[in-house]
Amino acid sequence: MPTRTNEAWLSDLATPGPAREAALEDLRVIIQKGLPYALSRWLSPDQPQFNSLVEEVTQETLLRVLDQLSTFEGRSQFTTWVHKIAVRIALTELRRKRWRDSSLDELTENEDVPPPPGLLADPQASPETSAERVDMLQRVSRIIEEELTDRQRQALILLGVQDMPMEDAARKLKTNRNALYKLLHDARLRLKRRLSMEDISPNEVLTLFEHK
Amino acid sequence: MNIRAIIQKIRSSFNHREELPNKAVLGFLRVLESVREEECSCDEIYTKIDEYVEREVDKKDAAQLMPLIREHLDLCPECCEEYEALMHVLEKTSKDQV
Repeated sequence: MPTRTNEAWLSDLATPGPAREAALEDLRVIIQKGLPYALSRWLSPDQPQFNSLVEEVTQETLLRVLDQLSTFEGRSQFTTWVHKIAVRIALTELRRKRWRDSSLDELTENEDVPPPPGLLADPQASPETSAERVDMLQRVSRIIEEELTDRQRQALILLGVQDMPMEDAARKLKTNRNALYKLLHDARLRLKRRLSMEDISPNEVLTLFEHK
Repeated sequence: MNIRAIIQKIRSSFNHREELPNKAVLGFLRVLESVREEECSCDEIYTKIDEYVEREVDKKDAAQLMPLIREHLDLCPECCEEYEALMHVLEKTSKDQV
């Protein structure tokens, strides 16, 4: 495979023809060399869905690279930029699949199983600690209820309770991942300011749940 | 459980005001100490993360040069996952001079 500069990649990919075909083929090899490392935390090459996922991600990455070629600013090596696109596509797909599978598992397997004991039902905690925890959680929960908008609350439930991936949660809220992160950031800032006004330190609350 | 029951359960789960479990409340508190007024968006991180990761791989102090990116990665689990995956790709493939 020839070594290309960033400019050579851009020039080869810019117009249809043999140079673009050769560059796409080289990119395919590069993407498929990187993907096993990108996926290694979640999927190993001997799992049945591995090859189809890699193929699907590679195709989608090549299409996106051609589509977004004009947005490459040369801040990094061109191949790093391509790997970044492949990682985003691969992890988005994995998260969606993982969440759908776990949600269906919960619906079908846990319908008659009682909920797990809550954080307050800690048998090792002293009565005083338990009472303090109940009191503190009630205060914080009330503040959250008062401070967060319905939309911020909905986002928190989707992400923090249902463990929905951000891309899916954003779609459900008819927004995008960027705006969803901003929504959460604003919620955190509001809560941080309010807790500070009420003289409650988040770390102190957390510490209360760490010691018995 | 049949498909109709599953659909019914999904519908009903979206139709009532769900209470925030204590675990979610504590999870929310856990990140508050790191929250700053100034903040990068996920899109800004995505635009710069390739440059950031290359600096890290080259042992330059990326976190010091681009502190807002590091702060965002500490708060956003999905951007952080993508950062770690890209780091892993570059660390492994740079040895093959990809």
